[in-house]
Amino acid sequence: MTRKQKRLTLIGFAGLVLAVAVGLVLFALNDRITFFTSPTDLAQGKVKPGTRLRLGGLVEDGSIKRGDGTVVRFRVTDGVNAVPVTYTGILPDLFREGQGTVAEGMIGADGEFKADTVLAKHDENYMPKEVADALKQSGHWQEEAAKATPKK
Amino acid sequence: MIVEVGHFALVLALALALVQSVVPIWGAVRGDARAMALAGPISGGQFLFVAISFAALTWAHVVSDFSVVNVFENSHSTKPMIYKISGVWGNHEGSMLLWVAILALFGALVAWFGRNLPRTLRANVLGVQAWVAVAFYLFVLLTSNPFARFAEPPMEGRDLNPLLQDFGLAVHPPLLYLGYVGFSIAFSFAAAALIEGRIDAAWARWVRPWTLAAWVFLTLGIAMGSYWAYYELGWGGWWFWDPVENASLLPWLAGTALLHSAIVMEKRDGLKIWTILLAILAFSLSLLGTFLVRSGVLTSVHAFATDPARGVFILGILMLFVGGSLTLFAARAATLTKGGLFAPISREGSLVFNNLFLTAATATVFIGTLYPLALEAVTGGKISVGAPFFDMTFGPLMVPLLIALPVGPFLAWKRGDIAAVAQRLAVVLVLSIAATLVTWAIRGHAVLPALGVGLATWLMLGSLAEIAFRIKLFSQPAGALRRAVGLPRSAWGTMLGHFGVGVMLLGIVAESAWKIEQVLVMKPGDHVRIERFDVAFERSVPNSGPNWDEVIARFRVSDGTSNPPVIMEPSKRSYRTRSMPTTETAIETWGLFSQLYLAIGEAQGDGVAMRIYWKPLVLLIWIGTLIMSIGGVVSLTDRRLRVGAPTPRKAAAMALPAAAE
Amino acid sequence: MLIWALIAGMTAVAVSIVLVPALRRRPEASGPAEAGEMSVYRDQLAELDRDVDSGLVGAAEAEAARTEISRRLLRAGRRGPATAADGGSRFLPIAAALLLPVVAVGLYTRLGHPTMPDMPFAERKMAAPTAAPGAGQSIEDLVAKVVGHLAANPDDTKGWDLLAPTYMHLGRFELAAAAWRNAIRTGGPDERRLTELGRALTAAADDVVTPEAREAFTRAIEVAPSAVLPRFFLAAGLAQEGKKAEAVEAWRAIVAMAKGDEPWLPDAREELARAEADLTGKPYVPPVATPASPPSAAPAAPGPSAADVEAAALMSPEERAKMIATMVERLKDRLNGSGGTIDDWERLIRAEKLLGRLDDARATLDRARAALSGDAAALVRLDALTTGLKP
Repeated sequence: MTRKQKRLTLIGFAGLVLAVAVGLVLFALNDRITFFTSPTDLAQGKVKPGTRLRLGGLVEDGSIKRGDGTVVRFRVTDGVNAVPVTYTGILPDLFREGQGTVAEGMIGADGEFKADTVLAKHDENYMPKEVADALKQSGHWQEEAAKATPKK
Repeated sequence: MIVEVGHFALVLALALALVQSVVPIWGAVRGDARAMALAGPISGGQFLFVAISFAALTWAHVVSDFSVVNVFENSHSTKPMIYKISGVWGNHEGSMLLWVAILALFGALVAWFGRNLPRTLRANVLGVQAWVAVAFYLFVLLTSNPFARFAEPPMEGRDLNPLLQDFGLAVHPPLLYLGYVGFSIAFSFAAAALIEGRIDAAWARWVRPWTLAAWVFLTLGIAMGSYWAYYELGWGGWWFWDPVENASLLPWLAGTALLHSAIVMEKRDGLKIWTILLAILAFSLSLLGTFLVRSGVLTSVHAFATDPARGVFILGILMLFVGGSLTLFAARAATLTKGGLFAPISREGSLVFNNLFLTAATATVFIGTLYPLALEAVTGGKISVGAPFFDMTFGPLMVPLLIALPVGPFLAWKRGDIAAVAQRLAVVLVLSIAATLVTWAIRGHAVLPALGVGLATWLMLGSLAEIAFRIKLFSQPAGALRRAVGLPRSAWGTMLGHFGVGVMLLGIVAESAWKIEQVLVMKPGDHVRIERFDVAFERSVPNSGPNWDEVIARFRVSDGTSNPPVIMEPSKRSYRTRSMPTTETAIETWGLFSQLYLAIGEAQGDGVAMRIYWKPLVLLIWIGTLIMSIGGVVSLTDRRLRVGAPTPRKAAAMALPAAAE
Repeated sequence: MLIWALIAGMTAVAVSIVLVPALRRRPEASGPAEAGEMSVYRDQLAELDRDVDSGLVGAAEAEAARTEISRRLLRAGRRGPATAADGGSRFLPIAAALLLPVVAVGLYTRLGHPTMPDMPFAERKMAAPTAAPGAGQSIEDLVAKVVGHLAANPDDTKGWDLLAPTYMHLGRFELAAAAWRNAIRTGGPDERRLTELGRALTAAADDVVTPEAREAFTRAIEVAPSAVLPRFFLAAGLAQEGKKAEAVEAWRAIVAMAKGDEPWLPDAREELARAEADLTGKPYVPPVATPASPPSAAPAAPGPSAADVEAAALMSPEERAKMIATMVERLKDRLNGSGGTIDDWERLIRAEKLLGRLDDARATLDRARAALSGDAAALVRLDALTTGLKP
């Protein structure tokens, strides 16, 4: 092969790999991501039933009810609206009433959110950023509560 | 007083780093040997003082000096000693002190091993290293000072986050940092080469051992973190495509590409500019990883205490070094002599192939990790990018790379003969196809897992075959052992590294395709069958540790044979000071690589909600990464790499290579 | 001042690290005389010879490689070694060495606390006059001993019966519940074990009567139909669930069980009155004691006296609320002034939690922690009170 041919082969191949990568990324960004919503977004009907999404907020006080086996029902609230959630499985260690949580799943036609994953914060001072934002928007954010760590 | 000595030592290290960041480079520019010679002793001094500082903080943790804010926030007098020590770096301030300590250690090592580097290169490398050091000393002292004190110290500490009170997390951060920071050496060499406008094969040879060492530590660090998540979080998963995990994967991918491109540079004098760029990228991505973890800009299950002010500072450092080095790159890259182009079918061609796919994969992970952040900044929309995205993008890019992987080492430099390689690999290919078909037939006719097993077989046997052919194991078995001994260590390292990839892939395929999961509520006396095991719940018993209490659930597990049953005791632990519960899993290994995994959730009546997993061959995932790291270490002991540069004496022995052994 | 001596010593070391190489007559020769590049190529040639020698590379390939490496070697040789003048100016290194202590000491005096001594935990514990070492430790030792014994003899009913109330006392309710379950498993269900299991479960759930607790209390009544304590909890649980009418019925049934001189009767009457008020929608006034804290568990002193409670029963809701608030203030003043026992602190925090003054409760908790910092057992009980107070 001549020098020019070598160069063309290299550039052509690099271009091909790049094109495939870009194509995959674009396709996946259309298809394989989940949107984050707040209970208020759901209440306002901004989301079609059957789309996969993440729901963030606080676990409403007194809302955790256990069903048969490992079925759990609770409500996620942002202080303005609350969404009922059902989940089958084991809740994370730090899942508690009044604490921040993120549930991933789909909203059913009956308005109930069916979660297949439930996350809770990993640290007592940590709150998922989306949850903090959602709470700030609804005016339920307490600054002093966010800074529980005593400083000198 | 010890605490204050530590604090002052850290300030002194900063002062020395300031000197080191100016004087040697000034000397290199002016051709002033006296100024250049300062770099070495100062690097040593810097390390001395940071080590004093780190020892002082460790002492404060060990004796529970709660007048130190950092100790108060992360320790407790009743905490077991091992976690008092690991607690030093189990928090933000301490981990950043570890970061700078490792940076200083690497600087001192470069100064020591690099005594025979060309004078100006050594001065410039250590000077650039000091720039990085100055930035991070300032970060530690001004935003994350581990030596901050209380005027009126509390009597008791707040204890370390229970999730971090674990052996895995005691060793995970130091390994990861050794990797991250190790890439700073490659970065400093790259910046020095750009400053000098001179780069040659020797440069590649000096950089490669540092990169290789960093890569080994990073590989082990990522594997350790993954295993920790697997047994400690109680979800049974080993990789979540979590932003913080991605943050460690990004420099790993770039570093892996750098390792391979540096070979081309050393052997064929090519890919020079590209290698410089990769060195800059690998360290930039390490900085990005530090930024992502420490700033909390990304939602992550890993995001322990975070603070926006620190994030802004690290972002500043990130932009300074990435922006600065890329600007330098743009300005000076053209002055470097370019290497030649290669034939597509050749060893160097295959390494270019490797680099193309690795960097494309790096880019997809980069986009998947940062896209949500960018989208939110631009449109305010909030999305989460998880496993489905990466399965769709990263996965397909890895497949051609893995298929091509065993072929590369078979190709000759300059001009490879693909037909000859095909002939040599024919047996391996037949065996891999056989493995695919057998798996397909006995494992329920699932296509993807069968192909995965086939690919893993191809990788493992292909790496072994390369060594077998090089030592002519089959064609001339007589001298094979002698040839095997004479083979450079780096060839063995390559084989192990590639073999490890195959082992890891086999583990991943088996775990994802054939794991069994059950979530259920069990009461004392209940039995459940999973795979071939009978799991019987006996009773719950309370237990107390030094700083925690737990309720243990006792299970009796028999594997359906006459073997005596095994007792497994997962527990739900509650740490007193933070009143924070954690799940302690019980894991039992069967047949070397497969594991039965029990995790209990909350109590329900006198029963417990629990997860039982059967994880076939799951250990291979980490054993594979371990083999890869061993490959790196073996390669590192290669005579060519052992010392930064060969001494002139060795060249004299050229005529008598056997005597030089 | 030892610390200043150390600082001076360390600074001297740092300065000498910069100064000594700078003042040396001839700078240390560093770096090979020839360009490193050439030695790399020489080494590559040597490696090639070795490969040929061990039969790894064919003769023809080796020859081609040797030609290429040699060509590069020649090219590198033509470029010549990088030159650097020996010697050089001393000005910059000396200036840097002089500036170094200024920067270091200047920055340190802004950031550090040079005169502040170290305060290791062990020394402070010995020095602290209020600390009662041993008092807290002995209970922990006892627990550890019993736990160890039970691990070996899981069927020792007596051990479980001893361990469970100890856990309860330490505020580790979930462990207490597990211990009671084991006592029931080995010793069989009786009134005390079932009732205490229910109490432990209730306490673990932040004083909410959970379905599991309800089941335990119900079984206790089945075992001992005359038991009153489980009925108290069941009635309180009904009120918590919002079954107001049923709660009133339950309290009436309890009051009806009395012959007239039982110590718990006034409390039952008060609860009944409260439940009725709740049912009819009158303003709700919480009592000082928690609704779920039954007479036997009520603190002996110095809470509201029987007369206080009786007086409260006659007051209007507003007056009653005021009286409770006054009592809380009184307790608070006393504790802030002269301190008090863990029981007092605990009562104040619980009362403030019940009144919904969570910030006050948090502040009280912090003060209690400071006041009782030497008492490990008390700190554990205070930790148990933090539930519901965390932001």
